[in-house]
Amino acid sequence: MLAPLAAGLLAGTALAGDLEVAVLDRAGQGVAEVVITATPAEPGAPRPRPAAVATVDQRQRAFVPRVLAVAVGTRIEFPNSDSVSHQVYSFSPARRFQLPLYKGSPHPPVEFDREGLVVLGCNIHDEMVGYVYVTRAPYFATTGEDGRVRFHDLPAGGYRVVAWGPRVADPPASLVRELSVAAHEPASLTLRLARELRARPEPRPRDPDWEY
Amino acid sequence: MRGALALALLLAAAGAAADDRLALTGELDLRLVHASGVASFLDGGVGVLRYDPDHEGLRPGRAFLAARLRLFDTLTLHTVADAYGDHDRHPLDLSEAWLEWRPFPVSALRFSGRFGAFYLPASLENRGPGWSDVYTITPSAIDTWFGEELRTLGAELEARWLGASRGYPGDVGLVAAAYRGNDPAGVVLATRGFGLSDRPSTLAGGLGRPPLTVIHEIDGRTGYYAGLSWHHAGRLELRLLRYDNRADPGAVSSAGAAWATRFIAAGARLEPDEHWTLLAQLLDGDTVVGPGDAPDDQFRMDFRAYDVLASRTLGRARLTLRYDDFRTRQRSGFYGPPADESGHAFTLGAALALGEHWQTALEWIRVTSAFPPRAVQGVAPALVESQLQLALRYRLRGSW
Repeated sequence: MLAPLAAGLLAGTALAGDLEVAVLDRAGQGVAEVVITATPAEPGAPRPRPAAVATVDQRQRAFVPRVLAVAVGTRIEFPNSDSVSHQVYSFSPARRFQLPLYKGSPHPPVEFDREGLVVLGCNIHDEMVGYVYVTRAPYFATTGEDGRVRFHDLPAGGYRVVAWGPRVADPPASLVRELSVAAHEPASLTLRLARELRARPEPRPRDPDWEY
Repeated sequence: MRGALALALLLAAAGAAADDRLALTGELDLRLVHASGVASFLDGGVGVLRYDPDHEGLRPGRAFLAARLRLFDTLTLHTVADAYGDHDRHPLDLSEAWLEWRPFPVSALRFSGRFGAFYLPASLENRGPGWSDVYTITPSAIDTWFGEELRTLGAELEARWLGASRGYPGDVGLVAAAYRGNDPAGVVLATRGFGLSDRPSTLAGGLGRPPLTVIHEIDGRTGYYAGLSWHHAGRLELRLLRYDNRADPGAVSSAGAAWATRFIAAGARLEPDEHWTLLAQLLDGDTVVGPGDAPDDQFRMDFRAYDVLASRTLGRARLTLRYDDFRTRQRSGFYGPPADESGHAFTLGAALALGEHWQTALEWIRVTSAFPPRAVQGVAPALVESQLQLALRYRLRGSW
């Protein structure tokens, strides 16, 4: 799952290469829902352009997607597609907000204008947890079920690659890598996690009408 | 009590322009019942099930209307109005009515509170709208008793640590409440023993025939409960609750005597995967009635019950098997046969959701129990009772 990268930023870059990053757990299985950011080592790198409006839906009493990486300045709407009401909030320092009890899309999008992790909750259903990862990195994506992301046509040069995921328990310092991307030569990086993954806080898919 | 619901509807009409200010869930539940055994306690007998051979065939199960009215963003009024179609004092009554204060969390520690009349936060089965059981038609012996005799008429405060912001997939809450009106709690247990019935008390109603008042203040003393609940990764829930109504066992009023009842309730619910639920509950306590100047004359009874449940979903269907075990032991105040009950029950349930509005459920219960006081009514102390029910439910939700 490749996030909508600022492909337009790369226009005119003659020397570009690809980068694939894999995140594997201790058993060698790919880890989904890990945000990978890649920041060029050279200053003056292009800034990411915020997506028009991103969406974090609420379905079956879960945030969908559960993990969303966005560029600083992105506005996100939080429609509620469930038949029950939700009350979405965050008290994370990077973005505090509160959306009073609602169904459908009565609230305007929320702007995420500071870098950092924003943990989403529902004040009615404590088991609902979501994450918005707000980044200044020009390149970012979230791993799919195979635990991989692919960045295409990165300008050649050095990069600082950082990984973050809600289930990843390894210390943040161990999830940073420096590497080089050469023109026309695919680069790859494998992050093997040393610690067990945190339990998946996944509420069971319930019958929305007959279970509470 | 009905006035409160009318008020809720009136307020809702006034604020109808605001989105989702009022939410209503209504349900009609009709049963087809086949029962064997003796007359139910609900009809003046000693049977421990809701229905009996004189009350089978097509029966009203329950009709309820659960209303949620948002007064402010952090203050919500909840009411549940019930009709059971039996011979209770009021054909329509409230079973719960409370104000909920639930501010948005501003840190990992969230405080919330409830004020009014509501069920004990102890059942792991009755989590549906209107305190409905999400696994079977009939709740366990423990939850049956909670519904029959216990209602918080007071204030409850909860502090909950929300782990997500600290990387922990779960939360831990401490709850404490002060209440009145639970002085008769214990009388049903002492006179009937444990039962298995989805006929809880309503606030102004009674239980059985003639209706026995179970929610009433007699001694003017405030009771409490305090508990702990822990959710881990959406898969495990643990609860522990200590309850003491702090009643004066010597107090008597026109509504009856005060029963000093205290217990510990514990429960665990595990959902190892998306289909299975495993659940266990335990209740251990005692109740005392009578003046304290002659302790040997006081009626004193210990009670203990547990249940284990396994449930599996198959598409839109759910299959559930539960085992209940319950016993009481009288310790003093012997004036008749000892109130020593021992019993167990098997419950087998199947439910099928037929789309958004309709659900059908089938349930078979078999209870084996012995309770010597039944002899006073000329019934053998040891009984085997069974009940087969088919429920058809229609549920409607709306919000304005």
